[in-house]
Amino acid sequence: MISLYLIVTAVLALAAFFIRKNAITHALVFAYVIFLAGFGIFMSHHVGEYFGEYFFCDYLGLIFLALLIIITFVSALHYVTSSKNRSNTPAIIALHNAGTIFFTGAITGVYFTSHFGVLWAFVEATTLGASVLIYHNRNQDSLEATWKYLFVCSIGIAIAFAGILFLGLAAQEKNNSDISFAGIKAIAASLNQGWLKACFLLIVTGFSVKMGLVPLFNVDIDAKDASPSQVGASLSSVLMNAGFVSIYRFYEAFSDTSILPWMNRFLLITGMASLFFAAVYSLKVRNIKRLFAYSSMEHAGLVMVAFSCGGIGYFAAILHLIMHSFIKSSLFFQVSQMHRIYNSKWDDNIGSYLRVNPLGGLVLLLGFISIIALPPSGLFISELLMMQALITQNLWWVALLVVALVLVVIYGLSVRILGILFLKKSTVNITPAGATLWESVIQLCILVFVFYLGLFRPQAVVDTIYAAIQTLPL
Amino acid sequence: MQTFDNFIVILFIISLVYIAKAEMIKSYIGLLTFQGFLLFGLAYSELRELDAFQLIFILVETLIVKAGFVPFFLTRIVKVKNHRNNTGPIKGYYSVFVAGGIIVGSFIAAHLMHNEHLQVKYFTAAISSLLIGLFIAINHKDILTHLASYLIIENGIFLLSLALGSEMPMFVNAAILLDIFSSILIMGMFFNKLKDYFQNTDIGQLSKLKD
Repeated sequence: MISLYLIVTAVLALAAFFIRKNAITHALVFAYVIFLAGFGIFMSHHVGEYFGEYFFCDYLGLIFLALLIIITFVSALHYVTSSKNRSNTPAIIALHNAGTIFFTGAITGVYFTSHFGVLWAFVEATTLGASVLIYHNRNQDSLEATWKYLFVCSIGIAIAFAGILFLGLAAQEKNNSDISFAGIKAIAASLNQGWLKACFLLIVTGFSVKMGLVPLFNVDIDAKDASPSQVGASLSSVLMNAGFVSIYRFYEAFSDTSILPWMNRFLLITGMASLFFAAVYSLKVRNIKRLFAYSSMEHAGLVMVAFSCGGIGYFAAILHLIMHSFIKSSLFFQVSQMHRIYNSKWDDNIGSYLRVNPLGGLVLLLGFISIIALPPSGLFISELLMMQALITQNLWWVALLVVALVLVVIYGLSVRILGILFLKKSTVNITPAGATLWESVIQLCILVFVFYLGLFRPQAVVDTIYAAIQTLPL
Repeated sequence: MQTFDNFIVILFIISLVYIAKAEMIKSYIGLLTFQGFLLFGLAYSELRELDAFQLIFILVETLIVKAGFVPFFLTRIVKVKNHRNNTGPIKGYYSVFVAGGIIVGSFIAAHLMHNEHLQVKYFTAAISSLLIGLFIAINHKDILTHLASYLIIENGIFLLSLALGSEMPMFVNAAILLDIFSSILIMGMFFNKLKDYFQNTDIGQLSKLKD
């Protein structure tokens, strides 16, 4: 099945690239999403099984695959409209669609591989796929963002590879050359803890570019700003999740060792630093896409803080990622419409959005309520659990600091978003025809689903998350 | 064979000092070609016991890609042969002192961490290459020099894998090769696009995206 998945991904990506007819390349992306859904159904019946030497299926992979399928599908739908509005050439559309298939396939590989080396290879592949998508607009901004993204990601990935080599060295000291997740987890407690710390430090540093964390977050922000909104949605959701899964695999493998408290402290510092930078920049930034990008960084930081607490924090972290993926992608999709109406992404130019585009304004309002974690948003539950986890660990001062920084971000978001919705008037000529009803309806459905998850917390979702984290020291 | 290995590692470290001091793009290209040949020599000497397929793979990675394709491609995209990069705050022989400090520091670190699975000479060269690559990236403002610094870091990673003797699956080796190949190819293409948009190749021009 894994061979089939790799072959279908490659064939459809090549077909989308070479068949430069818009209808066909768009259809190929939808065909790939359907194939991926089938792949997901197949995998859901084989949880806990290995597929060859390098792949396996667990609940964590399944959760994020489900998100990947939904977001890629909605993203593909939005791209059909936006490419028509922008009058993109068939060559640009073909490259974008081929890039989407390649990028999605690489992320799926990250979710289901069982080998640290292969995980690294798939994360590297996401860089190449993302670069193609970021360059879509073919202008000075996209060129700058793509160059920086490629360069810094390549450096980050090289650093992460050095971490994997250190892991290999630690394993070799015990005459073990197997660096699969299970192989390392089985002997982790007996490995040189210094090498494991070095490995984890390099891995988190290298993969921080994917999750949008300190230290390599800058290029991620630029990429979300300069790329089309549906690409920003993917970078802020599915790629961020891939970055989390990459770090999670190492954390899980080392979780039975004496470095667990050290890893938790390191993740806490990384999370708090990310939260701090996100809070500072949220006050300063006036570009709406960058504002949402910094908001993603804030949530990535919160996920790391929750995860570092262990116990209920693990559950909160994954729940938070699920909710954030839905909300942030909806907001980025809505930004695409705003851009079409105002031809600007600067908050100075955008105003009276609720009047100009009532349904779109409603999406932005509900998205805003959701992203700042006001009830009944699902994020409210995850952030509440996060606080519970911090207090359980007696980290009162961290909890207070988190609340203070989150309030700063909320202030930054409120000033911009409420201004756009209600307070300010547009300073540019507007094109109300840029708004598309069905796009806003889809985004609204996603946000209603987030409210549903927040209000009712379906037992199946809760059970699946607990099943995903059962291998961690709860 | 041990003497041969030592000789090559010393040559590699000397090439790093030259790279730290270099200011002309053609110097970088020449030194990267030289490093490609040195890495082939080291890999061949270390990995002779591998099967024929893996040996051919290493040959392709070092001799054809690192010593052949990459320098050729860089030469093609640099139309101006005497293109001088825009050096940062640390210039001339001060760069040599920095490179020297990095090499000495790496040697001490390697010596402290030495065990039967970690070869000091390779580890010193690998860590030096990584850090000098990062130093060049930070200290220089020219886009093409950044590309060269990335290749120096990649050479360091290659040496690190020799130092640690880690055996990666063929799939991963293929991904590393693809990584170098595609990164250089894509960055090279973008370099040409950047030249179309911007007046020169100073990284300072890539500052439109900011808060």
